[in-house]
Amino acid sequence: MSVLFSPAEPRESQYGINPVLVKKRGADLENMTSVLLKDLIPDLPDVIYPNKDNDINAVKTATEKALESVDMSMIKPNHTVNILASHHGFTLVGGLPYAEMLKTIKDVVEKKTGCKNIRLRAGVGLRFRETEEYIRRFGLDKHFNNKAIGIAPIDEGIPIETMIGTLYGLRRAYDADWIIHAHNSDVREVHFHRQVDRAVKPFGMSYARIETRSAYHQNMGPRASNFVARAIFDSKFVQEKYAFSCFLMVVPNGIMTVDADNDLYALNERVTATGCRYYGKMMTLLGAIDECIAVLDFPCPVPYVFSGGIIYANFAGANIDLYDLDNPLPPYTWYTEAFYGKRNRPLVDEVVPVNPAIKACIHNYAWTGYPSSFFAEHVPTIVVGYEQAELFNKDPQNTTYMKHAVVAENTDVAIDFAFKIAKTDKIIVFDGAVGGINVSESLANHLLKVAPSINEKVEHELLPKWFAQRGLDLRKALLIGSKEAAVNY
Amino acid sequence: MKEINFLARVDLEKCNGCTICARVCTTGAITMQNRKAVINQDRCVGCAACEQRCPEYAIEIIRRESPFIAQVIIESSLQEAVDNLCRSAKLHPEQVVCYCTGTRAEEIAAAILKGAKSPEDVSFLTGARTGCKVECIQPILRLFEAAKVEPKKPEGGWQWYGLTKNVWEIPKTIRDQYEGRGFYFDKDEELLNKVIHSK
Repeated sequence: MSVLFSPAEPRESQYGINPVLVKKRGADLENMTSVLLKDLIPDLPDVIYPNKDNDINAVKTATEKALESVDMSMIKPNHTVNILASHHGFTLVGGLPYAEMLKTIKDVVEKKTGCKNIRLRAGVGLRFRETEEYIRRFGLDKHFNNKAIGIAPIDEGIPIETMIGTLYGLRRAYDADWIIHAHNSDVREVHFHRQVDRAVKPFGMSYARIETRSAYHQNMGPRASNFVARAIFDSKFVQEKYAFSCFLMVVPNGIMTVDADNDLYALNERVTATGCRYYGKMMTLLGAIDECIAVLDFPCPVPYVFSGGIIYANFAGANIDLYDLDNPLPPYTWYTEAFYGKRNRPLVDEVVPVNPAIKACIHNYAWTGYPSSFFAEHVPTIVVGYEQAELFNKDPQNTTYMKHAVVAENTDVAIDFAFKIAKTDKIIVFDGAVGGINVSESLANHLLKVAPSINEKVEHELLPKWFAQRGLDLRKALLIGSKEAAVNY
Repeated sequence: MKEINFLARVDLEKCNGCTICARVCTTGAITMQNRKAVINQDRCVGCAACEQRCPEYAIEIIRRESPFIAQVIIESSLQEAVDNLCRSAKLHPEQVVCYCTGTRAEEIAAAILKGAKSPEDVSFLTGARTGCKVECIQPILRLFEAAKVEPKKPEGGWQWYGLTKNVWEIPKTIRDQYEGRGFYFDKDEELLNKVIHSK
């Protein structure tokens, strides 16, 4: 057996080590193999990207087609337009599809409306220069005639009156006559959004000030917090500027298509349905892993490295059903982290331990720029290379990460040590490979064995429950998310 | 508590006097003199907000020659007042409010009880809000409100704008209107109440 799916390449960034220091990938360890995602979840839809020739025009064509039915008549030639983007899109399938979608939106709007003053405002998470890096990397500065900038949550704010009082957005997100919400449907932080209003979330995050983000993560509770974004989006201020939304529709095996709509909530229903169906199956399958060593190996912060479309933060919580809203606290989310008292004493019984199947974690390659100490505190963690350890020691968000982790000189030493402490030969690599996952042969056999029953369980038992909890019409939601519907999306 | 090992340094050749660094500084350590940014080294905690937002890339973060610990000690005589303040702010005293530094509500409450006048003072004294600079502003402002201390805003600064609503303040009309859409207002309120009142 051998690995068929290439890990995502290391990226040069101020948040990660120099790519030349990444000497060996997790996928190159002994006895590793790949499992095709469609062999695990046969009803995954076909994707437009990656494709046979890796032709990015497929994304351009899909964007143009999606925008054909969108009303842009409100945009006049003398108006200003902000296309609002978020950092995460640039980590999907290498980032090129999202960049292509953004460029195409600009070109189509310009052509259809005659408006020339179209800017890109790209929001971030907690790495304030991340989208600046992507803007340069993907030539967005040139395409937007030097009107492309990164915006960060500590930048100048603007108060927004909402149905739950004043919240705060970023002034430069809204300093235009019209805004276009350019996002993606990748599931990413299920521990936070719980697939509730996923499509609306950037209004409470990437486009929002610290007060709003903090309200989400500290003031509202683990499920009610999702209302923050809806409150901002529904405000008079935002509604008077909102033109339409355009989304890269992502599934665990790649880019399914591009979807656009003037009605964000209609699009949100489609995102929820496909998110539950496809990512829900992948997540439930990873939750069926009984024991393993997790290898982090992707140009993103610790919780965001991903395998089969699922991020490590969600694998750390895969011991419970994260889609089931009757579970109040995922094993990892900031509310959970907050509710560990001194000496790691849970303050309430609802705090569930981190996924006990993760016996050890090898941090082969992952970035700083996100508070990640929780993971090193709860899972035995081996960081590869002194340079990477030093980078974490210098990061103000990770001042204690290395107090809980140990350093190995190289990947081989790390895996030898991990085998000793984990006492399992099952390995899963979070390396962003697209179309398949890179795992040890032993884990591949386990996943292939349990997948059919997991698919059955999700399809017939869990999906109806998940849709009902989110107020989705069951018949409609099942149709939206079905393979047949996906094919004719 | 946070070990302060780093410090910001300005390249005066590159600095164009735009003032952004001073507006985002979490401890109020930056002032402008002759249209150049000046760092108060005793007050800087190396949070890198300035370095990350400087449009001219004129600021770098360097290792301190003499690191120090930002920490507010809670004497046993203060513990009861600290606990009461935290619970008035609807926080458990041991609840972590700064995920980057692991700072708990009780340390921030103690800082306020000992005279902190602003979130910038809290950040300097405890290290909280000097990691990501984003997620912990609300509980800090809630503690100020509960202590009946109106925090002083840095003039012209973007450090923080104000307290926002929390789950306890969501009106019944909204709860009723959005019931069954996955927001679980009542159950989350119940959970947070359980945390506040746990031992």
